[in-house]
Amino acid sequence: MAFEFKMPDIGEGLVEGEIVKWLVKAGEKIAEDQPMVEVLTDKATVELPSPRAGTVRELRAKEGDVVPVGTVIIVIDEAGGAAKPAPEPTKPAPEPAKPAAPKGPPPREPAPPAEPPREPPARVLATPAVRKYARERGVEIAAIAGTGPQGRVTREDVDRHVAAPATAPAAATTPAPHAVAPLAEDRRVPLRGLRRLISQSMARSKRTAAHFTIVEEAFVDELVRLREKLRDEVEPARLSYLPFVMKALVPALREFPYLNSSMDDASNEIVLHGGIHLGFAVDTAAGLTVPVVHDVPGKTIPELAAEIEALADRARAGRATPEDLRGGTFTITSTGPEGGLHATPVINHPEVAILGVHAIRRKPVVRGDEIAIGHVMHLSLSLDHRVVDGMTGARFLTRVVRLLEEPGRLLLGMKQ
Amino acid sequence: MTSPDVLVIGAGPGGYVAAIRAAQLGKSVTVVEKGEIGGVCLNVGCIPSKAIITASALVSRMRQADRYGISVTGVAVDMAKLVAWKDSVVKRLTGGIGTLFGKHTIRVVAGTARFTGPGKVAVKTAAGEEAFSPGATIVATGSRPVEIPGFSFDGERILSSTDALALSAVPKRLLVIGGGYIGLELGIALHGLGSEVTVVELTDSILPGTDPELSAVVHRTLKKKKVRVLLGAKALGWKETPGGLSVEVETKKGREEIACDKVLLTVGRRPNSEGLGLDLAGLPVGPGGFIAIDAHCRTGAEGVFAIGDVAGQPMLAHKASREGIIAAEVIAGRPSARDWAAIPAVIFTDPEIASVGLTEAEAAAKGIETVTGKFPFGANGRALTLDAGEGFAKVVAEKGSGVVLGVHLVGPEAAELVSEGALAVEMGATLEDLALTIHPHPTLPETIMEAAEAALGHAIHIYTGK
Repeated sequence: MAFEFKMPDIGEGLVEGEIVKWLVKAGEKIAEDQPMVEVLTDKATVELPSPRAGTVRELRAKEGDVVPVGTVIIVIDEAGGAAKPAPEPTKPAPEPAKPAAPKGPPPREPAPPAEPPREPPARVLATPAVRKYARERGVEIAAIAGTGPQGRVTREDVDRHVAAPATAPAAATTPAPHAVAPLAEDRRVPLRGLRRLISQSMARSKRTAAHFTIVEEAFVDELVRLREKLRDEVEPARLSYLPFVMKALVPALREFPYLNSSMDDASNEIVLHGGIHLGFAVDTAAGLTVPVVHDVPGKTIPELAAEIEALADRARAGRATPEDLRGGTFTITSTGPEGGLHATPVINHPEVAILGVHAIRRKPVVRGDEIAIGHVMHLSLSLDHRVVDGMTGARFLTRVVRLLEEPGRLLLGMKQ
Repeated sequence: MTSPDVLVIGAGPGGYVAAIRAAQLGKSVTVVEKGEIGGVCLNVGCIPSKAIITASALVSRMRQADRYGISVTGVAVDMAKLVAWKDSVVKRLTGGIGTLFGKHTIRVVAGTARFTGPGKVAVKTAAGEEAFSPGATIVATGSRPVEIPGFSFDGERILSSTDALALSAVPKRLLVIGGGYIGLELGIALHGLGSEVTVVELTDSILPGTDPELSAVVHRTLKKKKVRVLLGAKALGWKETPGGLSVEVETKKGREEIACDKVLLTVGRRPNSEGLGLDLAGLPVGPGGFIAIDAHCRTGAEGVFAIGDVAGQPMLAHKASREGIIAAEVIAGRPSARDWAAIPAVIFTDPEIASVGLTEAEAAAKGIETVTGKFPFGANGRALTLDAGEGFAKVVAEKGSGVVLGVHLVGPEAAELVSEGALAVEMGATLEDLALTIHPHPTLPETIMEAAEAALGHAIHIYTGK
């Protein structure tokens, strides 16, 4: 018995996933729960385990393919069924070739027809007119996530797909002719996996949000001393400044709820978030990933430190779960020692604000009427001007700076 | 050397449609045809057989008119006259194509084409030979009936379907070898016109490849008509006897001599890919004699397209026509593709069978869980007033989503009804879409609506439980 495994809806509302890497190949034996494929969903790479034991008959998708949920991606001959050692050739043509010619046994019948090389029978729900429309626009309809009834691909879905060219794998099937012959040293790298997602979401953010950035400096001598004192007490986690920044953001975000919001472009509504879930940018080999610490107000600093470390480790290993990456309300990007003096961070759409936290440096500072050496941290806050005006943003940033400069103020917000 | 934009080899339902579409798109087109414009379908296939079937059904109806209180006596069939009427229908249709060709200034060359090299075609005509180097070539050469050992068509005793459509008299006893759709359509038609018919089928079922649930209904009516059907039986050879012919048949029970006057041999069709010089075009012929094509009807040879029967199963005129349109559009630079969801198939037996999309078994083989709804024509008002309550409509849908995967019919006018199913499958309609579409009463398509309702668990006119 052949078992057809369909691209599952891994996270809520997932419409498509990208095949990052096959971990099995046709003809290979596969055990139940054995990881068979790495799939990239909205930002997470997930390993999908095999629900059945048996032999891989056929892989229906190639690495790099973006596959709509519900599409068969792998066919497994189940162990219980008749042993089929070799993978069968792809069964072509979905149409019922019924009374084509009376089919009798060999001696008096023409040999079985040579089935022409046909496209894989991916069943895409779309009307013939929409299928034609997609072809005219040069789009592979199987790659389009349908929003109609039962996932039907509508004309609007095709338009949307065309408008978001980063997701159009059509480019792969019909390579655009080079206007100019490429130089010998040019190399073309397909936009795949995380890179593709980053490219899409950054472009979308820049396209939709009205970005502006405010930069401020914080004199953080007290924070540096505090962390030095506490760092040995929160073993085993490494205590960075990030949990302190997160804690400083909590009262500020409560005071300025529009900074802890999202823009729902579809309904033209600003969603003011009840919870404070802070994303933080992690630089991984594959590219930028933003895990989210959920419910920051409900966690202690050591707890935050431990969770940040665990999330970052998973992200760097490419094992972040969809849950790790979902639900952020505000993002922090710590640029580290090499991150420059200040930056203009790109908002993590559909959020409306992102805080760049720069390295703490020893600098000359004015204390009273003297110049002294102090610890200075720069903060770059990018905002979506559609939602947050400059003065609100500046007040918010001042509040954050104040809390970082005088971490003792955080005691005011304590409930226990 | 002539260089039309498009050279079409074969003027059947694939080729003539391709030619017209190519001309519509501004191409200069030449069509090569060795026989008649219209090909098998119009001249010796779909169309003439339907004409004969119509006449035969009328005879059957007259014979049972007594049931309605109508007495009909003296029914006699003048086969020659019937064939003449059939020919007039064919002529009207093929003449129409000729007129269209003229209006589109499509040149027709009567002759036999073969490739002489890549992109080069020579056509042997009555006047000699003409060389072509067309911009693109569409191979639309169709298919022809096959023979079996011991039986060769002679047009007199061993008939092909073509011969059977040109009979001058109804044979008294007809033996049909091959219980597929061609054999049964013609066998039933000739039975209606007065032949005593025996069907010899090699496999264990008539209409092999058809949903057994559908073919069973036709098998039952064959029994009622007293058409003898031998399944798992093989025709070995024949000889002439003083009273006609004697055909030796090996059945499960042993060998049997069956006396008859004519043998109709309908055991399948073979693609016409030989003698075309395909190797010279750089085009290998695949297994079974088919030319392999891609989604755009392109073959392995540059500038050569293939459509219809010669390009693969199913060998159906409407598939050929669609491929003809696709090939012409692709040649004209349009992004056309063979991306249909399903190809409907119709069989003009009594009752008719029609099918589009997946059956339960085909869906199961693809790992799709299904729900099925059936509704009998016996519970449909229009069917009963047509005195045709045999058969049923069946709708197969994906479990859960209710997306219609297939519609299968056996019963009155099934061939006319299936297009609603084809539309449903192409549009990705659901059971509810079919069930909620108001169908006029009293009509036969109500059965499709009710079958969809049955699949949803609440057909009105049959009890499906609470």
